[in-house]
Amino acid sequence: MHQLVVEHVTKSYGHDAVVDDLSFSVEPGRVTGFLGPNGAGKSTTMKVLLDLASADRGRATIGGTRYHELRDPMRTVGVVLEPNAFHPARSARNHLRILADSAGIPKARVEEMLDLVGLTTAATKHVGAYSLGMRQRLSLAAALLGDPPILVLDEPGNGLDPQGIRELRDLLRSRAGDGGTVFVSSHLLSEVEHLADEVVVINAGRLVTAGALPELRQLGTSVRTPSPQRLTDILQAAGATVQARDEQALLVRGLSSTEIGDRACAAGIALHELAALSGSLEDLFLGWTHQDEPTDAAGKEDVRK
Amino acid sequence: MTWPRLVRAEIRKLSTTKMPWGFLIILVIISATTATAVIVGEDMDGTKGFIATAADQQSLMAFGANAMMIAGLFGAIAVAREYGHGTVVPTFLAAPRRHRAVLAQYTAIALAGGLLGLVGATLSAVVVAISVPIVDYDFLVSAADLTQVLAASTFAGAAGALLGAGLGAVVRNTGGAVTAAVLLLIIVPPIVVQLASQAADWVPSVLANVLSGVAEQPDLLSALAALAAWGLIPAAIGLVAVQRRDVV
Repeated sequence: MHQLVVEHVTKSYGHDAVVDDLSFSVEPGRVTGFLGPNGAGKSTTMKVLLDLASADRGRATIGGTRYHELRDPMRTVGVVLEPNAFHPARSARNHLRILADSAGIPKARVEEMLDLVGLTTAATKHVGAYSLGMRQRLSLAAALLGDPPILVLDEPGNGLDPQGIRELRDLLRSRAGDGGTVFVSSHLLSEVEHLADEVVVINAGRLVTAGALPELRQLGTSVRTPSPQRLTDILQAAGATVQARDEQALLVRGLSSTEIGDRACAAGIALHELAALSGSLEDLFLGWTHQDEPTDAAGKEDVRK
Repeated sequence: MTWPRLVRAEIRKLSTTKMPWGFLIILVIISATTATAVIVGEDMDGTKGFIATAADQQSLMAFGANAMMIAGLFGAIAVAREYGHGTVVPTFLAAPRRHRAVLAQYTAIALAGGLLGLVGATLSAVVVAISVPIVDYDFLVSAADLTQVLAASTFAGAAGALLGAGLGAVVRNTGGAVTAAVLLLIIVPPIVVQLASQAADWVPSVLANVLSGVAEQPDLLSALAALAAWGLIPAAIGLVAVQRRDVV
């Protein structure tokens, strides 16, 4: 199984730490979204993982191995990094054939990939004449050329039309469903929300939060009771964080709805509402990346049920 | 087994753009200029003394110095554009042990440079052989001397291409790499010779002429080694730079 592990990676350019003591892991069989505002260090982290940039400290491994130690990298990891990493006067077919030559991949696979991404009819055109979406499709074809179990994709949806986005989403879900490891950065939060099982969020080069998206989206439990103070005392004694929302409404974090209900029942406190709250990824993202403490995002008012 | 694949990929890279055709056109233009000089040109005394002897004709055909300069530009552009276009990223993703990718690239570029040198010298030889009889002179160069001219140009082309490739890997910018190649092959050598006359025997043009059999100092083996060093030293510096630096 191919787990991606980033351990205490620090990378500076000049005096600026672009990635700062960053640690997280990406599990196989899952689609993991990699989120962060512009300049957060996402691309640099991916480049360190792929040994295109060296870490000042820490290490990043793929299945326990550094990228440059992989025996057959193109058959192990498929990568989309730069949307314009093509010679503009070279055709798409020749671009893929060059990569196929270097990895000993049969020419027939090149044609398969051109067909898969819908570029067969444009395969002899110079890439310089391609739209951004077509170049992105070509990048995906290159990434899939070696049929790798791991995909590391930096903004793969850039420039794709809705049909292309849909196909990309289906492809990545299918890869993860087959046990593959899919690590994808994107600024399209709605797309990540549809696609990702897990997210890793960084800001200013540091980890903000990581985990399963459904769990991270749980903002807490909304409780309405005529005895808010008594219930607050009981729940806080049980380790929960309780925030008053109005005179009778509480936002409780750190205990499940069941636990809250059971404790209220045991104390003879009536409950008029007990509902789990979840936030949209956009709300959460803005909270995570605008505040140092990720849990602060849960205190935002614009939550939805 | 993987290294020959990398060389094949690099050869495909070179052969799937229009750049080689551009350089071929340059070789044709130089040959046409040579033909024009043979047919129209005259010495100061109004004669065609510059094609009168076998040595004169061999000197006219000697393409080594040109080959080194042209292949130097070819190598510089071929490598630097990889960084400019970002195609170095898929290259090093496919071959993350960078020294293997760089050595494969150097091999392909040296082969291409050698081929440019061979084609350039062949075109020169052909135009001299064709144009000399037009002005009522015999073609006097022996087969052995002709072979030496062709071999020298091939070797100089390969060395020049390596020099350019090394500069391209260090500079990583096409304009900068071309400028560096022009400085190193054309501008700096005469300046160095002005400052230190004993360096005159070791500049690329003189070394290429020794290999072509149209100059005598230094000796052939020394010239061979020195010309190889002109190519290999920048290439080695480029290799070290690529190993040590981040790709992007």
